[in-house]
Amino acid sequence: MSDLLEVRDLSVRFDAGRASLFAPRRWLEAVRGVSFGIDRGKALGIVGESGSGKTTTAMAAIRLTQAAAGRVLLEGEDLLTLDEAAMRARRKDVQLIFQDPYSSLNPRSRVRDILREPLDLMEVGTRASREERVRELIDLVGLRVDQLPLFPHQFSGGQRQRISIARALATAPKLLVCDEPVSALDVAIQAQILNLLLRLKEELDLGYLFISHDLGVVRYLCDEVAVMYLGRIVEIGPRAQVFESPRHPYTRTLLAAVPSLKRRKSSGFKRPAAIEGDPPSPINPPKGCAFARRCPHAKDICLSIDPALEPRAGGRVACHFPVS
Amino acid sequence: MDESAQSPAAEAWIAFCHNIPALAGLLILLGIVALTLYGTLFYAGDAYEIVWAPHEKPLTESDFPLGTDYLGRDIVAGLIAGGGPTLAVGLCAALLTMVIGIAFGALAGYYGGWVDIVLMRITEFFQVLPALLFAMVLVTLFSPSLVTIAIAIGVVSWPQTARLTRAEFLKIKELEYVTAARAIGTRDRRIIWKVILPNAAPPLIVSATLTVGVAILFEAGISFLGLGDPNTMSWGLMIGMNREYILDAWWPVTFPGLAIFLTVFSVSLLGDGINDAFNPRLRER
Amino acid sequence: MSRILEIDDLAVDFDTRFGRVRALDGVSVGLEAGETLGLVGESGCGKSITALAVMGLVPTPPGRIGAGSIRFCGEELIKAPKSRLRNLRGAEIAMIFQEPMSSLNPVFTVEDQIVEAIMLHRPIEYDAARREAVALLERVGIPEAAQRARDYPHQLSGGMRQRVMIAMAVSCRPRVLIADEPTTALDVTVQAQIFDLLGEIQHEFGVAIILITHDMGVISEMADRVAVMYAGRIIEEAGADDVLDHPQHPYTRGLIACIPTLEDDASLREIPGVVPPLHALGRGCAFADRCAYMDARCRRERPALAPTGHHANACLAVAEGRL
Repeated sequence: MSDLLEVRDLSVRFDAGRASLFAPRRWLEAVRGVSFGIDRGKALGIVGESGSGKTTTAMAAIRLTQAAAGRVLLEGEDLLTLDEAAMRARRKDVQLIFQDPYSSLNPRSRVRDILREPLDLMEVGTRASREERVRELIDLVGLRVDQLPLFPHQFSGGQRQRISIARALATAPKLLVCDEPVSALDVAIQAQILNLLLRLKEELDLGYLFISHDLGVVRYLCDEVAVMYLGRIVEIGPRAQVFESPRHPYTRTLLAAVPSLKRRKSSGFKRPAAIEGDPPSPINPPKGCAFARRCPHAKDICLSIDPALEPRAGGRVACHFPVS
Repeated sequence: MDESAQSPAAEAWIAFCHNIPALAGLLILLGIVALTLYGTLFYAGDAYEIVWAPHEKPLTESDFPLGTDYLGRDIVAGLIAGGGPTLAVGLCAALLTMVIGIAFGALAGYYGGWVDIVLMRITEFFQVLPALLFAMVLVTLFSPSLVTIAIAIGVVSWPQTARLTRAEFLKIKELEYVTAARAIGTRDRRIIWKVILPNAAPPLIVSATLTVGVAILFEAGISFLGLGDPNTMSWGLMIGMNREYILDAWWPVTFPGLAIFLTVFSVSLLGDGINDAFNPRLRER
Repeated sequence: MSRILEIDDLAVDFDTRFGRVRALDGVSVGLEAGETLGLVGESGCGKSITALAVMGLVPTPPGRIGAGSIRFCGEELIKAPKSRLRNLRGAEIAMIFQEPMSSLNPVFTVEDQIVEAIMLHRPIEYDAARREAVALLERVGIPEAAQRARDYPHQLSGGMRQRVMIAMAVSCRPRVLIADEPTTALDVTVQAQIFDLLGEIQHEFGVAIILITHDMGVISEMADRVAVMYAGRIIEEAGADDVLDHPQHPYTRGLIACIPTLEDDASLREIPGVVPPLHALGRGCAFADRCAYMDARCRRERPALAPTGHHANACLAVAEGRL
């Protein structure tokens, strides 16, 4: 049991309409029975390709997307059963930062107002103390107090991401959901933001739910890693476990697909664990293991029975024939 | 980087000031407004009074530079007196259009689902009404006053604004700063009016400007058909009253027509200018 | 080996609201037949504009070729007539783009588009062109190519669309293929498939590739030679192994050290600050403000690309042995 956030059997489905007037209604099963936990001051990374449901999982966990089933315990309290007012009050404990630094800040607000808004809404402290807090925040993320009266479009992408982070930290949250926070940034700027996030995690004892498709980034920042495929967690475990000795064939494929400075054209390399094809559609997902149709080790049972997430050597793996 | 604190609106204003056609439009419009407001200060004359022989040609009698109409009333005085009501009808109708249209569009776009379905069906109902006919029915049913005309125009022309607002809301509500606002516990009402609406404003402002022009034309059309308020001078009314004699005397119809054309033209230039000013992609060029 | 493409002292200007800005300045680089040249750098460094200049597709206005020459097999392209460029494009020099959805026409089938590309440049019967289109689709790894050929672009996944783009690009056996961030819009497993395919295609067709990317890992796996760009200039150029193992320019060093990899546990070294906007470049080295080895001379002089052996770099600190 994790002491900050505990997600159990979370499912999210979207109405995908009907193919024709009399066809049965179709559901897009975005998240299918996902469970994980995050401890105070620890980062859980969720990796996966587009359509794997990683963002939806995070959004449902903080109730910005409606969950179809499951429980989300924040310090023991189930967020999904709170009424509107109680949830609004609880929001100060869970904040989020987004991928696109250009659409995540209201272009018509000054930085000062962007940072003050959460404080005003949550009625944190007195007026004077809020002003003080705004100055503290801007300093915390490495920007200058004299930049407070500016508008978002006057900043670069990396600076905007810093403003986003400052806004998220305004109410002193315990959990920060980061949805691809560096994917839209150039590599040099990426490193700045990652180091900032790492520093804040230590200094403020923040828990992170960190969504990314970039495995290098997750490996750098996260203590635990969950790999998602088509709405399910296929492997979860401590960072070293997942990256050094992955058990699920999909995790291995994913790791092998990441371009590496160690593989050189000059020395000629053959990509290990290469696979064919694209992920299947999350609308009416296939029976059995979702990865079976692309998996090099798939057998009959994989096509009919969906493997459960079972403990294996430090982590948990959902595979009938885990790689050793 | 420019370190001065410039709001997007201030930047748009600067861009607008570099747009010569738009500035010309603004100047013409200001001129027309000034003439209708203060014209009587340096051109005395009653628009309703019969002051001379009917159908005096323009530029023949120095007292009546644009001639007289079929009753012998001064056309210049008519233009000055009729400008105010014409512009007022346009403005009020546009305002009404905006209020109804934005309210419908914002709620439909933000909430979606059945709210969207119900509101958009109502909108479609109004959209498929033949606008001019419906306005005529309204005006004939109630007394043909300027207020009725303004309301009639407003009621038939809001669906477009509603659709535009809805489209903007659908687009903006998916942006991450709106999600961020929800994540800090902002209430729906505040998100709709304080977060999304200001960002949806630019195309709405353009549309409002153009609606003023359309409303003025509409008023002229209604008055031309003889459904205007006969007791209040307006450019449309002038055209309507003089249209039977157009073959004998072109000027009583032409000058109010030109006034309407100039007003609508300048409003269009203004609208285009605002559009360009708010559109940063065009501004980069 | 012979150079089939030679870019010499190329400059491209853009008119912006800040006045005329030099987006590309003194870029010189060559491409050998059959090799892969990686152009690497952050957004706005000029790597895409270099590609557009080679294709003769710099948007004019606001863009304009300011100086320099581009020679394809000895033939000057800068002053070449439009009709000649049109004949070269697609036939001899082909390009694939970042976003495979918007570079395919949504209202025609995949087959139609490839057939058109083939018939545009080659005297060939329609039926033969169609057979060839299907064969190409098969070659780029599209399953059930004959049926898929009748599909419209939106019926294909992102990876499949990029395969179609590659099929179209190689349909006339070009000698140069420019790939501008061809996998940015794709998932990582699909990205690996596309790069593996590009490698095979290069081997089979002997095409030289200019690969534009921001990812040093991609450079490592794909490129024979690398040119690193910064603020419109090439600041380092050498064989891929030389650049990756012994980077010389401080920017290149920073670029390699700031990538979170799967092998390395060291903490990330960041490059401080941001790329200066092109309209605000001073006289000196564009990287000076962010550079730990900067001194007074770096602010005064803009270093030229100076070769040391086979390894060229544009850095005064390297030249003076201060590093």
